[in-house]
Amino acid sequence: MDNVITTAGLRKSFPARGGRVEAVRGVSIDVGRGEIFGFLGPNGAGKTTTLRMLTTLLPIGAGTATVAGQDVARQPGQVRSRIGYVSQLGGADELATGRENLVLQGRLYGAALPEARRRAGELAALLDLSEFAGRRVRTYSGGQRRRLDVALGIVHRPEVLFLDEPSTGLDPQNRASLWEHVRSLREHGTTVFLTTHYLEEADALCDRLVIIDHGQIVAGGTPRDLKKQVAGDAVVLVLRDGDQAADRGAELLRGQPYVRELTAAGGQVRLYVDDGGAALPHLLRVLDGARVAIRSVQLSEPTLDDVFLRKTGRRLRDTGEVPEGRAA
Amino acid sequence: MKTMRDAGLLFRRSLTELLLRNPVSLAVALSTPVLYLALFTPLLNHLPGAPGLPRGSTLGLFLPGILSLLAFTTGIARGFITVFELRAGVIERFRVTPASRLAILAGPILAAMAIMFAADAVLVAVGTAFGFRPHWTGLLVLAVLLALLMAIMAAFSIAIALATKDIISFAAIVNGANLPVLLLAGVLLPISLGPLWLRVLAHFNPLYYLVEASRALAAGTFGGPAMWQAFAVLAPLCAITLGWATRVFRHAVA
Repeated sequence: MDNVITTAGLRKSFPARGGRVEAVRGVSIDVGRGEIFGFLGPNGAGKTTTLRMLTTLLPIGAGTATVAGQDVARQPGQVRSRIGYVSQLGGADELATGRENLVLQGRLYGAALPEARRRAGELAALLDLSEFAGRRVRTYSGGQRRRLDVALGIVHRPEVLFLDEPSTGLDPQNRASLWEHVRSLREHGTTVFLTTHYLEEADALCDRLVIIDHGQIVAGGTPRDLKKQVAGDAVVLVLRDGDQAADRGAELLRGQPYVRELTAAGGQVRLYVDDGGAALPHLLRVLDGARVAIRSVQLSEPTLDDVFLRKTGRRLRDTGEVPEGRAA
Repeated sequence: MKTMRDAGLLFRRSLTELLLRNPVSLAVALSTPVLYLALFTPLLNHLPGAPGLPRGSTLGLFLPGILSLLAFTTGIARGFITVFELRAGVIERFRVTPASRLAILAGPILAAMAIMFAADAVLVAVGTAFGFRPHWTGLLVLAVLLALLMAIMAAFSIAIALATKDIISFAAIVNGANLPVLLLAGVLLPISLGPLWLRVLAHFNPLYYLVEASRALAAGTFGGPAMWQAFAVLAPLCAITLGWATRVFRHAVA
């Protein structure tokens, strides 16, 4: 496959109290042309640090990275003219209008004024901003703001667009609309590299993704392949008597031949079986026989969170949310 | 060429931001120097000719000092906007474009400089109306020196802003530097009034050279040692701070 991004053993550490913190510890990835590629992981996993190295904003610690055919460490200028980058913050000028922002951005990428103006109009239409293009950015809603940020990122028709946590702070409706726009970029041949800590986003939007935790890749593939690694269905049994009951339930069920993997926490037992529907009556019978009272039962197909749990022993949802309002 | 073009684009952007962002602060920037003049000059009316002081009119002594002060404060305050733009993601957006790094630095500095010169013009006009009789060629040469010092302080301030990244640390450093630099420059009263140790210490302060040169040039002492010393100190220092700040821009972990 024609790779647009290739990294080998990418590393970065920062000085910190009591030594150095290794933010990225040997990341090797290949991203094909025209893919939507995702970096899924909790906050602090090293997603943004990796992205900042690939976009020339941060010197590479160790390892190599090639983006759009250019070595990132040796040819940062060449890389910059071939990539677009939308940070979590966006960074549009609030007092300028959307159109003014787009025109200046186009000119900073080398376009002459008439060309930059023409392109600004084109982008406003592409991202449904025409109606607001003449208004100051300060008056934009969160969704409009985000679409402008994306437009600023693709003003020079980059080969690769990097999106850092693109849907943070967006409501579900605006998130869905953003996803549509990202997909249409792929239709136009742009490769999209995005970081996210939203499982749904990685699952719904990415052609391929890697899961990153503590600066290392723990799994990679298409969302479908990843979920297939967690064979079978997930069953969650919520027990009436809390942690003690959960521990006891876990003990009882761990020995059952059809139970694949099992964790107990927070008054719940979570386990994987090949066929959830068939296993459920057995599970209930075992618990009932030992007088472990059940509050409720959930049966679900595996999600990327199950993949994350299996690879890291933690749940992505429990690793902390991004503070609200950072990209409002 | 490319640096000039990029700097021009970013100069226009910054100037628009400065004019639009806060009309109040613009009004303050233009009127503060006149306030200094109006409120402080009366205190000095009997000073010229006193022991240790150069002869000449009060305005001739004091107005060049305010011009120097203005160059210093305009420059050192520039980093506040950088911290703000850093937090808003604007700096990062520019850094990822192929725009020249020097231009990303120089555009905003030149915009602040343009507003400074507007304030200078107001000050000189008001001063002239009240009897300030400057040497006009000297004043033009002084403008170059003012620009150099302003650029030095702005580059320094922006580099500190990029390094600290937050307003509290930035303000602590900048405010800490403010007072000693101002007191050791003889902006309000000539340093020649002070004891020897103070006069020696002042020679380590770039603003001191500007203030000395500004008085000489405004009075028409053209091409004297004060002027040459100021150029000899400020021109290399300007190149060094701009180089340093550009380097910080290139590597900033923003």
